[in-house]
Amino acid sequence: MAKALGRNCKDDIYPMKRRDFLKRIVKSFFFLIGLCFVPVFAYLYPFKIKERPVRFIQILEEDDLPQTGVKRVSFSYEEGQTKINRHLFVVRSDEGLAAFSPVCTHLGCLVSWNRSREEFICPCHGGRYDRHGKVIGGPPPAPLNRLPLDIRDGRVYVGLKV
Amino acid sequence: MKMRSGEMEKGRGEKSFYPEYVFEILLVVFLTIELVLVIAMLYPQIIGRQIDFQAEFQPRPEWYFLWLYQLVRYFPGRTAFIGTVLVPLAAVILLMLIPFIDKAAHGRVKATVILSALVTAFLIFTLIPALGR
Amino acid sequence: MSSVFNWIDSRFGIREPHKKFFQRPLPQNMNYSYCLGGIAFTLYLISAATGVLLAVYYVPSVDEAYKSVIRINEEVFLGWLVRSMHKWSANLLVVFIMLHALRVFVNGSYRPPRELNWVAGVFTFVLSMASGFTGYLLPWDQKAYWATVVGTSMAGTIPVAGTVVLYLVRGGPDVDGTTLIRFYSMHILILPLLMAVILWLHFHMVKRQGISGGM
Repeated sequence: MAKALGRNCKDDIYPMKRRDFLKRIVKSFFFLIGLCFVPVFAYLYPFKIKERPVRFIQILEEDDLPQTGVKRVSFSYEEGQTKINRHLFVVRSDEGLAAFSPVCTHLGCLVSWNRSREEFICPCHGGRYDRHGKVIGGPPPAPLNRLPLDIRDGRVYVGLKV
Repeated sequence: MKMRSGEMEKGRGEKSFYPEYVFEILLVVFLTIELVLVIAMLYPQIIGRQIDFQAEFQPRPEWYFLWLYQLVRYFPGRTAFIGTVLVPLAAVILLMLIPFIDKAAHGRVKATVILSALVTAFLIFTLIPALGR
Repeated sequence: MSSVFNWIDSRFGIREPHKKFFQRPLPQNMNYSYCLGGIAFTLYLISAATGVLLAVYYVPSVDEAYKSVIRINEEVFLGWLVRSMHKWSANLLVVFIMLHALRVFVNGSYRPPRELNWVAGVFTFVLSMASGFTGYLLPWDQKAYWATVVGTSMAGTIPVAGTVVLYLVRGGPDVDGTTLIRFYSMHILILPLLMAVILWLHFHMVKRQGISGGM
């Protein structure tokens, strides 16, 4: 009885009841826990990824360049300890010499050169590009990635971001 | 003993969860395990080829993603996100809303139309790449 | 045996609150199509069990993943069977979730008060498909790699936020070791845990709301 009276007296002095205050604390605790998703996102996001510098890699001799048309060139380079094999397309046309990455700009599959149809075809979703890398059909949003070419001392180098 | 007296209260023909249905459930569980075992033995998983960065390769997803694989072909250029994100998201949301659509006037009809449309679209877009290999 | 159980239960108290559940009568018009959900759950348990077994031998790294899968298939006793069961139970899981959903729809069992349970069911469906997608990469073979390149590239097509989402999913600009370990932790930790939580909600609602007697 006396205890109950004591609590009533306190309520008059403090507008917020002790219990309500505690409830609010509990709720804000869970709110704070909920806020953790921001640092969790930051933890999961690869912020440290830097734009990789362009490195020029020798792909073939000048004499091996195609006189006309499209040539598929395989090459390899070292990245740390591992040897990495890649390929690209070298095209000589009326617009001069160009090198194209084989990665389809749609969803990243590798395109192939169809000799009879004279176009690059992506096997995944039917993207088509002409010999200048321009999209002529299918879903790709952009032309094939054109890589910088450099010819020095009879050797052909291509710039890759590796 | 207590359990048995509880059973007695029910009518004679009535089944209760335990033991009648638990028995049937275990039977089904047993058959399911058998089914998986038999199929796994008949069609074991093979080992795929090593990753090749030079070969032109057409990756095919699991059968339950084939519809998406087919769908992305229809949205060229900058509209690509419609096929990759918007349509799948809309389909899932629509599927979730079925009980709430049902509550509206003629709800059952609407819900039936929507689910049939989703199922039909799923089947069609799965079958196109599945058969057109 | 039962005296041992009684001794444990007098301390644990699991029988009494479940008595009602075990003795509840069930709708008279139930038939075997009501098993579809149970079959799906069984398949989830099979894939969980075989998944745990696979995790013992699988190594989630670029250099080791492919080799460890070959080891599971060729050297580990019954390894090929565990791997095949994992694959098939996962595939059948998707099938039976679909069939279960169709059964629930035909019976109209998603009606109030069971709307939320339908929504939970859609979540299990999405989670099982996500598990299928993340698990597809783990063998780190040709098919796995390129399917993941294409699949994750789709995230990159989102306007404005595309690159951020893509980097978050892949852990970098390319599909590489970071992606593999990301998918691995999704596949063996996050998704199964989420699935377990959703399934608990699903079954809790079934228990609370009872089995729908149909239309």
